[in-house]
Amino acid sequence: MNYAKQTSPYIRKETSVKRMMFDVLIALLPLVIFAIYRFGMDALVRILLSAFIFVGVEVVSSLMKAKVHPSLKDKKERFMVRWKTLTINHVSAPLVSAVIFAMIIPSSLSLYVVSVGALAGSLIAKAFFGGLGSNIFNPAGVGRVVIGLSFTSAFSYPGIDVTTTATPLGAVKDSLLNIPEMLNTYSLQDLFLGNIPGSMGEISAILIILGGLYMFIRKAADFRVTLSMILSFSVMIAVAALAVKGEMVESVLYHVLSGGLLFGAVFMMTDPVTSPVTKPGRWIYGLVVGAIVAFIRLFGAFPEGVVFAILLGNIFVPLIDYYKWSKNKYSVKFIIGYVVALALLSVIVLLGIGGIN
Amino acid sequence: MIEKTRYIPDGKKERKNQPVIHYLEAEYLYFPTTDLRCPAGESCVVDGQYVKVGELIGTRQGGFFEQPIHSTVSGYIVGSEKKVHASGQTVDCLIVQNDKKYVLHEDCVSRTEEEIDALTKEDYIKIIKDSGLSGLGGSGFPTYIKLETKHPIHTIVGNGVECEPHLISDYKLILERANRIIEGLTYAMRATGAKKGIIAVKKKYPELYEVLENARHSFTNFDIEIKRVGNHYPAGWELDTIKSATGIKVPLGKLPAEYGVTVFNVATLYGFYRAVKRSMPITERFFSISGDGVKSSKNFQVRIGTPVRDLIEQTGGYTESDKNKVLICGGPMMGNALQSDDIIVTKTATSLIVLEEEVIPTEPCIHCASCVYSCPVDLQPVQIMNAYKDRDKDALNILGVNKCIECGLCSFTCPSKIHLTETMRQAKRFIKK
Repeated sequence: MNYAKQTSPYIRKETSVKRMMFDVLIALLPLVIFAIYRFGMDALVRILLSAFIFVGVEVVSSLMKAKVHPSLKDKKERFMVRWKTLTINHVSAPLVSAVIFAMIIPSSLSLYVVSVGALAGSLIAKAFFGGLGSNIFNPAGVGRVVIGLSFTSAFSYPGIDVTTTATPLGAVKDSLLNIPEMLNTYSLQDLFLGNIPGSMGEISAILIILGGLYMFIRKAADFRVTLSMILSFSVMIAVAALAVKGEMVESVLYHVLSGGLLFGAVFMMTDPVTSPVTKPGRWIYGLVVGAIVAFIRLFGAFPEGVVFAILLGNIFVPLIDYYKWSKNKYSVKFIIGYVVALALLSVIVLLGIGGIN
Repeated sequence: MIEKTRYIPDGKKERKNQPVIHYLEAEYLYFPTTDLRCPAGESCVVDGQYVKVGELIGTRQGGFFEQPIHSTVSGYIVGSEKKVHASGQTVDCLIVQNDKKYVLHEDCVSRTEEEIDALTKEDYIKIIKDSGLSGLGGSGFPTYIKLETKHPIHTIVGNGVECEPHLISDYKLILERANRIIEGLTYAMRATGAKKGIIAVKKKYPELYEVLENARHSFTNFDIEIKRVGNHYPAGWELDTIKSATGIKVPLGKLPAEYGVTVFNVATLYGFYRAVKRSMPITERFFSISGDGVKSSKNFQVRIGTPVRDLIEQTGGYTESDKNKVLICGGPMMGNALQSDDIIVTKTATSLIVLEEEVIPTEPCIHCASCVYSCPVDLQPVQIMNAYKDRDKDALNILGVNKCIECGLCSFTCPSKIHLTETMRQAKRFIKK
């Protein structure tokens, strides 16, 4: 009998990356079903295509990365050694990215453009950076931004005449003052239930909230990023509405429920790989992204700012996690810093909208 | 999962209800003359000499202290041999051949109440030093040094939490010796001048609370409280116990004595009772053998010095399989893995767990930060791991890897099954270089 060389602890918790990934997929399932119900075969084809590309790129890149001992000459054997390094996570993780990517594109997008986006997301954003756990940008987000910038004219939404718009938001981006008019076209209830045109998975707020709740209860995602992002975004929109003497509550509700905001906050930001690793860090990350979304929506040229904001927020993650200041304890300094930053950003919004006059 | 892990399955249920086998049949008993804390040692007996229970047979010498070694059986000294210590070290051991008569040494006489009342602090320190009492919770730190502290002590905390899963050593001791533990606590209070005594036990064991509470009523002259603390892990970590028992927050790296608190394990308090009241060293220990690598799990009450191989025989031996066995001395979270079963029961040994080896495949880190959320000392294991991969000494120092108490929670909670605790140990060794 031999004695194994192990070190403490000798027991592990009943938990795995696999369970986490499948929890996210379960949370996404209602959105997928709703998208297929709303957009029919178009949606299904696009989801399957992006799933195929994401999983395919992941599997191929993992096979290429696997190390095989040089003494092994036979091609078939070499392949088998590589093949055995694959795990369920090489399917489940890219599948999550694929479904998220499919949810943030319109159902009428041409298949060619979908392929380019999925390739950009899986290959450039993930495989080139080292695969699962090593990517610094959200793969689905990168895919969406690449096609959004390269094939601007390919984006059209059934139900909206204006080109280059992602959601009803795009149709009336001009001014916050238009919100009451906007609400005549699409009521808050429509926004809530998903009875609006838009990207496949972003339209039904209630299903997104349900999926989010499932993930938070199962602890497959951290609620802090989501909460912090929606909080800071809402504060800034409220200040903007105040500046133009608009309806504060309605403006905030409208902005939170429309566009990709909820979807981004619940499914894209909570991706742990591209989040900071401390509790205060995750609050700060949410604040950064929320502020950037608000700025893009209020002052930017793009109607759809959430994906941009998340990618820009990703850039801040290594900075937030820098060892000299990253702490997992909520300190007074952090709370004051958070409140002051939020107040300063709100003042910028106030000045930018011209609320002082 | 992205959450703070506070509770771990404790696996004590089956073991708690099993009877304790009083095993006195060991043919030879082994007494290490050196150990991890004491690199040198000597014996004061010769081969063939007859020794009795409680007789001094040698001394272990540490850097700034020494520990007497006592025989726990009566019989003849038959030489010395190398054996494996519970810490994994190979040490020299004195061998005593057991005549199974258990004749008590003449020096082991009970003290009367009057004699005890007359004892001064110096007397207590001498008694405890001569009894060789050391931290029986696992540290093995000599108790008399704790008593010698210059800081004024106002509270003694008896630690009966035993938060490691699978261990029932302290549990059984409290159930069977509650009165003596409380009595030992009163001696510890008298020795240090502490006004208050607290014994901390887990909330989920009301039976322990009850026996201690009943025992407490026999000592109405002393301000003793039985406190039920949380069931989480590591609730039995000294600083955590102090915090939940007294409310005092002792920062990392400070001695509890500086804050007027001293913590003793309940087994150490029982040692106080034996040393002060009966002038006896600790001779017995509860020891359990469990795990899927042995045919049956059993609890033993054994003489210190008993070879563990004898006990493994009692359980029916190892299970037959082609898998390697993992031998763990201590608990499954912090115990030592041994490379040989040629070990002996020492004062600080609590349990042997034998597991079939399961190789745990690891996945890449996905930055979920469960380790960061779970760490009881607020470290960031994932960042320490990355800094260690970069061999970045500055980062490791600023991230405070030396504060790590190696409780094992980061490895336990990791969904990717990365062995973070081992990385922490390597990082600690690395920055020492």
